[in-house]
Amino acid sequence: MYYPYFLTYMALGLGITLIVFSWALRKGQFNDQQRARYLPLHPAPDPPPPKPSRFIRLEVLVLFVMAGLGLAASAAVILFALVHGN
Amino acid sequence: MTTNATSAPPTYMTAKGFTLTAGFWMTVATFMGLLGATELIAPDLTENIGWVVFGRVRPIHVNLVLFGFVTPGLLAAAFYYLPRILRTELFSEMLGVVTVVLWNLVLIGVVVTLAAGYTQGREYAEMIWPVDMGVVLIFSLVLINFLMTVVRRKEPMLYVSVWYACAGIVLTATTFSLGNVIWRPDTGALVGIPDAILLWFYGHNVFGLLLTPLAAGVAYYVIPRACKTPLYSHTLSLLGFWSLIVVYTHIGTHHLLQVPVPTWLKVISIVDSVAMVIPVMAFLINIWYTAKGRLGEIHNDIGAKFVFTGTIMYFFVSIQGSIMALPQVQRITHFNNWVVAHAHVGVLGFAGMISLGGLYYILPRITNKPLFSRFLADFQYWMILIGVVGFTVVLTIAGLIQGNAWYNGETIYRVLPEIHMYYITRASIGLLVFSSAVLGLYNIIRTLYFNPGEKLS
Ligand code: HEM
Repeated sequence: MYYPYFLTYMALGLGITLIVFSWALRKGQFNDQQRARYLPLHPAPDPPPPKPSRFIRLEVLVLFVMAGLGLAASAAVILFALVHGN
Repeated sequence: MTTNATSAPPTYMTAKGFTLTAGFWMTVATFMGLLGATELIAPDLTENIGWVVFGRVRPIHVNLVLFGFVTPGLLAAAFYYLPRILRTELFSEMLGVVTVVLWNLVLIGVVVTLAAGYTQGREYAEMIWPVDMGVVLIFSLVLINFLMTVVRRKEPMLYVSVWYACAGIVLTATTFSLGNVIWRPDTGALVGIPDAILLWFYGHNVFGLLLTPLAAGVAYYVIPRACKTPLYSHTLSLLGFWSLIVVYTHIGTHHLLQVPVPTWLKVISIVDSVAMVIPVMAFLINIWYTAKGRLGEIHNDIGAKFVFTGTIMYFFVSIQGSIMALPQVQRITHFNNWVVAHAHVGVLGFAGMISLGGLYYILPRITNKPLFSRFLADFQYWMILIGVVGFTVVLTIAGLIQGNAWYNGETIYRVLPEIHMYYITRASIGLLVFSSAVLGLYNIIRTLYFNPGEKLS
């Protein structure tokens, strides 16, 4: 009873791999490897993004301070638990 | 089924949908992790609240991290880069949107059923049959969209990212169906040891043949683009791809080295685990040589920064994994928090980082506007980096204490107080990661919908 399942599993994996590999070989997928290196660069890289507005910077700062305060409070509780826990 | 008109600019609706999905479920998933970690410190915390006891929170956490956060994030990037590399349009944006909606319904199904106590009780395969079928359906829909896009491509050559994305989906659809024994709806399991073997073929492949290929695909796209340079070697990338596909499919049994499974299977799994060094190093050498001398460019792009850090984590997790597959090592490291540390380096440090990197890389490109806040994204980057390293250190120490205690026959009640402070530290790090997820979601929503930034040309 051990064998059928995992042999099916391995055979299936290997089977699919071999079929796809032979397809790729026949279709010349392994031929022009130099050109393939450049494929992600098409189309040309994007321009650098513009600067964010002042308002965003302020909003982010407030959010950051709030998150920082929350984390600091939690850290204090944890520190207290570690020191006085047992 | 509708396809895009040839001339219309892409709407990227599918990529946007998966981005939002990943951002949202990351907050839920990390909250569940935090809740579980808190329960390990204070087990009475949720006493008598059945639907949030640890046994239910843990599977919700891992399944949501896997299918709610990391996979959708990686898919968002794949839905963006596939048509671009193949120089065509996505086969069907409509099908993509339907997939996103169904995907979220399945995730709701995961949470509701697991919280209500409906489980098949097999690790990473806890979901009950109807939810399993939902997962098979959504992966099949993604597969149709990917393969049809490949069929309609104008670029004859398949770049390595295309191989990785398609293979990840084909292999997961197969692995998931087999590993979840979907032909037995009532139990979703075989009986005895054969079930454990099958489950772990699936259990490992869900990381090795879903997260790893999808993440590798994103890295192979983002790094050359961010560095504005061609890939170091496409031949090497294909060598890495094919060796990963051949080697990874057999290593599930390294999870069962201390179980009476046939020895030849254990030997295959150990040998192949060590052989994983080949695909791993082929990938890493390629990415790192592509980025060589261009780290400044990577710093400039927050997406690339996440992705590049993910590749460094991949190095650590894989080398650690190969060593953990040795029986002598596993005698100490198995069945304790050491493995949990490894899991977090892999899923959060490697695949999660690359998933977030993919999101942040595509966000300005799919919205045509700058990221709402680069600062928040940077902040999230540091919180996650500190989180992953913190988890690793703390859980590894706790694991070594537990492993040695067990090896020496120490009783459990003496060990628990010893690791208590590590559990507290772990929960606090969980808070860091959860907070970063909330900030990340805010950043994503603002970038997608309420972005005051000026339009890119
Ligand atoms: C060369 C690559 C890798 C090898 C050889 C490897 C090896 C292993 C081994 C031997 C275990 C079992 C430990 C035990 O139970 O004692 C394990 C567990 C695990 N690995 Fe890896 N690993 C590798 C990469 C990865 C990656 C890239 C990820 C994530 C994307 C990952 C995620 C996990 C997870 C989540 C577990 C925990 C499973 C559980 O719940 O028991 N691994 N790995």
